[in-house]
Amino acid sequence: MTAVHTEKFTNLQKIFYPGSIAIVGATRSVGTVPYDIVNNILKSDFQGIVYPVSPREQFISSIKCYKYVTDIKDPVDLAILVFPSSVCHLALEQCGEKGITSVIIISAGFREVGGKGVERENQIREIADNYGISFIGPNCLGVINTDATCSLNASFARRMPEAGNIGFLSQSGALCTAVLDYARAKHIGFSKFVSFGNKADISEIDLLYYLKDDPQTKVILLYLEEISDGPGLIAAAKNIINESGKPILAIKSGRTVEGASAAASHTGSLAGSDEIVGAAFEQAGIIRCDHIEGMFNIAIAMTYQELPHNNRIAIITNAGGPGVLTTDAVIHEGLRLAEFTPETTEIFRRNLPKTANIKNPVDVIGDARADRYSIAVSHAMKDDGVDGVFVILTPQSMTDIETIAREICAVAADYKKPLYASFMGEADVAAGIDILQRHKIPHYSLPESMSRAYSRAYRFKQHLRTASRPAPVFDDIDISRAHAILDAAIKAGRYYLPEAEAVQVLEAYGLPVPAHGVASSEEEAVALAGKIGFPVVMKVVSDDIVHKFDIGGVILNITTADEAGDAFRSIYGSVSEKMPEAVIKGVFISRMISEGEEIILGIKRDPSFGPVIMFGAGGIFVEICKDVNFRVAPVDERTAEEMIKGVKFSAILSGARGRVPKDIESVKKVIQRLSQLALECPHIKELDINPLLVLDEKNGCYVADTKIML
Amino acid sequence: MKHSEIQSRVKKVISEIIEIDAASIPDNANFIFDLGADSVQSVSLVAAFEEEFDIEMDEDKALEIQTVSDAVEFIAGYL
Repeated sequence: MTAVHTEKFTNLQKIFYPGSIAIVGATRSVGTVPYDIVNNILKSDFQGIVYPVSPREQFISSIKCYKYVTDIKDPVDLAILVFPSSVCHLALEQCGEKGITSVIIISAGFREVGGKGVERENQIREIADNYGISFIGPNCLGVINTDATCSLNASFARRMPEAGNIGFLSQSGALCTAVLDYARAKHIGFSKFVSFGNKADISEIDLLYYLKDDPQTKVILLYLEEISDGPGLIAAAKNIINESGKPILAIKSGRTVEGASAAASHTGSLAGSDEIVGAAFEQAGIIRCDHIEGMFNIAIAMTYQELPHNNRIAIITNAGGPGVLTTDAVIHEGLRLAEFTPETTEIFRRNLPKTANIKNPVDVIGDARADRYSIAVSHAMKDDGVDGVFVILTPQSMTDIETIAREICAVAADYKKPLYASFMGEADVAAGIDILQRHKIPHYSLPESMSRAYSRAYRFKQHLRTASRPAPVFDDIDISRAHAILDAAIKAGRYYLPEAEAVQVLEAYGLPVPAHGVASSEEEAVALAGKIGFPVVMKVVSDDIVHKFDIGGVILNITTADEAGDAFRSIYGSVSEKMPEAVIKGVFISRMISEGEEIILGIKRDPSFGPVIMFGAGGIFVEICKDVNFRVAPVDERTAEEMIKGVKFSAILSGARGRVPKDIESVKKVIQRLSQLALECPHIKELDINPLLVLDEKNGCYVADTKIML
Repeated sequence: MKHSEIQSRVKKVISEIIEIDAASIPDNANFIFDLGADSVQSVSLVAAFEEEFDIEMDEDKALEIQTVSDAVEFIAGYL
């Protein structure tokens, strides 16, 4: 940890565990943010001293007020600024003079409003830098710490949430209040709850690192509208997940073009490309969620219970239909139905009615009461062939819902295995659900949500088992050759690198380029083709032509010297006729590879995440098939493998329908070399290799065509 | 009108709107940060200045005035 990071961590500790707080800009006007902040801190039973700072008030809620923060004689750990944005800089300056280094700026009216707001945000950032102040906000709801040793509600949320093990970080303040209300109804508790607003200083990355070391936090939830440091976020998430084992669940809004536009006007956010966000999250091990309910469905599973060791599920139900629905959901999520041991089956046979289904899914029949559920659930939990139990209940007239709920809670407490429940319905099952939720049994209204939650928890457990290794740095790279070509092109004001030069950049990075050369006369072309070895392909070389095919600038499968001469003349003739203004620099000749599966590889620079590598099914229908995926560079071997396995085309490469498997190992290497190229050659804006022809196992792969945009 | 007279009348207006003693208002006091004006009072100040000095100020610019000294300078420009 660097000195700056240590200082920030110390300041964050004072934000979450202050011994004393100054609320700067406090008022006695009921119904205002400044009033509610003071009131919430007092109501939350804060274990420290509170100093309201107000230019006019003598006292607020019987507590003496100070005109300026500098009037307070004793040291102050945390200042909360609730002044209008136009004077926040004055208040912050005084905090600096007072020696306060931890600040929350609640006030709005900064970057999110544009114009003068941007200037104000820059101004407060500058003041903070001068005094070594770390601050959360501006434009935020505040911070909540439920730890009883502090008990702080420094926000204008309606109430303090229950204590729990979920750390919640949100860029949207308004969403926070909705989340608190949602969580309250389901008895979901939080360890730390932070609205970080414009993140002008303390970012989600700083907060993630803080929660990594927070003993009260087991699971971290993150709501983001804007990713300003993509690589930093990935690195932080990887570090936190790998070192602490704490899952990170995230919602990144602005998935649609319309959503991105709304985000921009709301918090001055710019949404990145959604596919790249998804890929980056997956790469980092972040579990991406689509909505708040889905996020909490997974969060409660991971917070309340052990992570699943495996995916064999036992279903206990009192209704056939829901049992089948749950089975479908289990299979759909890639889970398996557990097979009971003969001992378990025998216990079920002896203790359940004859009409009961004693195989998985176990149907204890509609008239089942708590005793029957107890036998089925406890023995399913005991069975070594079962990794998790799903309990389904529908409310029949004789179903003792609350007793069954209590019985389930008691059984779950005896085992270190996941047990989730779905009491289907609404009004009649409400009291039973309440019991389950109070006892921290993950409850879901639908079996689909339950299966999805288990599946995500299981996948996370698997992710923890397979730690990634650093991406390799190849030492046989001729970086100066690549840079010389790219620098020369940029100096000449070109934005496109012709294939003859592009292949040299790829060659410099050890990518498999077939033998090639450029000929400027028919004689040279015939000699060069002979030297390369037939068959060859010829393509016109010109800075003025991007789409060579359309104007007769490409001839494939040239098999003899005579054909080589004809092809050279044909290209010159056709191009000169169809694009007389184009300057022809010669003809690019390369060995023609006429076999292999076509894949596409590419580089794109994302404004949030930097260089991104693309892999997928290649050929001329790439845009139609859209069978591609992305990863942020650097790409290690495991990630390269995930990229390959992540597309449907992977089955063809692996040898579908009895075909010989293709050389996937060589593709993995190419992906990793391309990743190094993307990182070391920032001149390249976009790069396409389409197709890369992949030959049979152990025979390698070849770049058949490439484009580089600068 | 003399600068000192403008200042004295500006402080009188402020004291009426924000309900504080005019004598306790520093020359460079910030309406919000030092005197505790709320958003309604900040808007009311502009209207009260216009009435006091019988002038019509550019509303957007007038609302940007934050201190007593800024107000005095701004109003002087209209007299």
